[in-house]
Amino acid sequence: MLIRALATTAVAWGLSASMATADYPERTIENIFPWTQGAAMAASQIVAKAMSEELGETITIVSTPGAGGTKSFITAMGRPADGYTLIDGWVAPLVLQPVLGNADWSHEDFKPLHAAHSVPFSIGMRAGDDRFEGIEELMAYCAENPGELRYSTDARNNLPHMVTARVLQAYECVAQNIPYGTDGDAIKDLKAGVLDFAYVNPRAYIQEPDAFDIVLVLSDDPGAAATYGGAPTFVDLDIDLGISGLAPMGWTWWLVHPDTPDAETETLRQAMGTTMAREDVREQLRGIGFNPLSYGPEQYDDVVGPVRAQLESMRNAIAWEEERMGGL
Amino acid sequence: MFDAVLAGLPLFLTVQTVVLVALGVAFGLVVGALPGLGPLMGMILVLPFAIGQPPIAAIGLLTAIFVAGSCGGSVSAILLGIPGTPLAAATLFDGYPMAQAGRGADAIGIAISASALGGLFGGAVLIVATPMLAEFAGGFTAPEYTALAITGLVTVAVISEGSLVKGLLAGCFGLLIATIGTDQFSTGFRFTFGSYHLLDGFHIVAIVVGLFAIPEMVWQVMRPSLDDKVALPPVRVGLRAVGLTLLHWANLLRSSALGAFFGAIPGASGVASSFVAYAAAKALAKPDERYGEGAEGGVVATEASNNATVGGTFVPTLALGIPGDAGAAVLLGALIILGVFPGPALFANSPEIVGGIFLVYLLANALLLVLGILMTPLFAYVLCIRGSNLIPIVLLLCAVGAFALQASIFDLWAMLGFGLVGILFKAARYPLAPVVIGVILGPLLENNYRRSLLISRDGHWIFWDRPISATLLVIDALLIVGVILYGIRQARRRARCTEVA
Repeated sequence: MLIRALATTAVAWGLSASMATADYPERTIENIFPWTQGAAMAASQIVAKAMSEELGETITIVSTPGAGGTKSFITAMGRPADGYTLIDGWVAPLVLQPVLGNADWSHEDFKPLHAAHSVPFSIGMRAGDDRFEGIEELMAYCAENPGELRYSTDARNNLPHMVTARVLQAYECVAQNIPYGTDGDAIKDLKAGVLDFAYVNPRAYIQEPDAFDIVLVLSDDPGAAATYGGAPTFVDLDIDLGISGLAPMGWTWWLVHPDTPDAETETLRQAMGTTMAREDVREQLRGIGFNPLSYGPEQYDDVVGPVRAQLESMRNAIAWEEERMGGL
Repeated sequence: MFDAVLAGLPLFLTVQTVVLVALGVAFGLVVGALPGLGPLMGMILVLPFAIGQPPIAAIGLLTAIFVAGSCGGSVSAILLGIPGTPLAAATLFDGYPMAQAGRGADAIGIAISASALGGLFGGAVLIVATPMLAEFAGGFTAPEYTALAITGLVTVAVISEGSLVKGLLAGCFGLLIATIGTDQFSTGFRFTFGSYHLLDGFHIVAIVVGLFAIPEMVWQVMRPSLDDKVALPPVRVGLRAVGLTLLHWANLLRSSALGAFFGAIPGASGVASSFVAYAAAKALAKPDERYGEGAEGGVVATEASNNATVGGTFVPTLALGIPGDAGAAVLLGALIILGVFPGPALFANSPEIVGGIFLVYLLANALLLVLGILMTPLFAYVLCIRGSNLIPIVLLLCAVGAFALQASIFDLWAMLGFGLVGILFKAARYPLAPVVIGVILGPLLENNYRRSLLISRDGHWIFWDRPISATLLVIDALLIVGVILYGIRQARRRARCTEVA
């Protein structure tokens, strides 16, 4: 009797568990996003909305900014690993902050879904600023007049700052980095003549292409150059930064907690794979200056691993800048 | 600019747009009235639905919540003494005493009328003077923002009830709270005590709800009338409220203009504008108006100002692509998803979108007047609920609102912690509003001050080299000197009266 009861219970348990998996998802899924509202969140909304249609349940974007994006990862990893929490795995909290020693995880500590989109960076001057003809003249002046020029990459210690500092290091250019907290404030000051040059993202450029003179696209991808009206890339100018592919760009790869059950992970992977293959989704992303990516979970280690290695090689660029500025 | 309005008419004149704007107004009034929610939360809640709609209908829905939510916060400030949103913090000063004196319906009617009229004024400014305002605000850089933040802090001294010293100390406490989190310049952590929850500081909603709601509820629990059912005469708000509001036409115009001006400056919030408008109205009031004890002008000033701010906020958002505040950032994100890129190019390339946005903004404010007045009996009904029933509901809504922001239990603890702080402040007769002002203006002041010095090649002279920042700082200095002299004069007068007595 006891054995029959236990067997019945076990079967019922197993059935309910399998039904629970079969029913997944049955409530709203949350994507923990590392930044405040802005263009990047708009891009994630596009993917989330289309993926919601594939899953039949809503995916909401939960903005959890703080500490270079690491707060969002800590928040997501503190949630149950049940497939109802996604991590918007932007490169800064996923790779850059661990490289800088500000986080104790590596990309291998997460289960990947699909890569979502990338965003190429550029260095621009104010349109009509005729003091310098291109990046070479700008850098030459900067090298001759250390500490005189002001530039911004929005926040400090973010990926645009690291890549830009690497460019400046390559030219022996020492300039004052001015941090800004809100997306767009630095661009406003660039246009007002307060800054000499600044990091320009595709959204800012698409909004007002005539407001900028893009002197360098921080990518080796010709598609990225097209985003900025055909401005020169560091490959065109033969600048050796020791970086390539996704390393100098912003990008996000959606992730889940490593303990997330395989069945739920597979459901999410299928939905996101279908989503990222949809031409309407890709077109919407392109429309706001983001490049849709096509990497699947099986390519995660092969793509992210080299990015980490390349960012490791650039980690001293910001320290070099601080040291030189401190010595002035 | 009027060409843009005409171009936007076909996009605006659809059943879907008008219905969504009306629903947005009703929803905005409700989320604004519920402590802990507010327009930002309301916009975030409907965002997934909105981005599936045509652009103007979607922006109409979000704009209506933004507009009505900015007004809805006054309802709980007036009826319960708890601002539903930080925007309504200053409305409490006179709205709550009016309700306590049995004029709750009048106060709500005035708040709605002033909000709608202030909002329409903001809309007129938006349409007529967008290029001028955008150009003016667009020229502001770090020194101007520093001076502006100092101006906001100086108003703390003007608005504080009771001791000026206590008001300033409370403001400094707010500034200290604002230092918690990640330092923008060094990216180091300050006062986080190893907790990742504090990496971005405390959430402003947890602070505001905790500081205002918890102490108020505690005070209400201690009242002997906890179980009494409040008997109110039927609440009838009609055109009388509009008439009462229009009696303060000069105050209405001045406060609306201040609100539109503050809104057009990115980073300068509706909260600051409402406090400044209140301070201005109080300073210019006749002695018998008794501000702080239920003066109609106080409600007119704060509500006209904070709703006109919404119109002003649209200026940098649309003209420059720079969101003036968090609500505008949500709108901006929605616009981008919908394929509309705010910025100067938008005015040249898509005037019909600009015109459509202007029209939904105006409609939202017009409907705010109608629906707000119609729904007043519903809001007033809150007062009829026994305190013993209402207090748990309010606390539950506060808890839900604080939790829902980031789905974080920590925010709930933070809310309770600030509740305790609020109780201590209230018991020691320290004003709470300056704390909120300090928290809001703290990052604006610190970051722009440090940024100014990094940009400057002559140290602090940068603040005097730039005419706008220099002018603002001179005004601040005069205000401080004026307040000190006023305080000395009052003290001497009191001393003289004591001697005579």
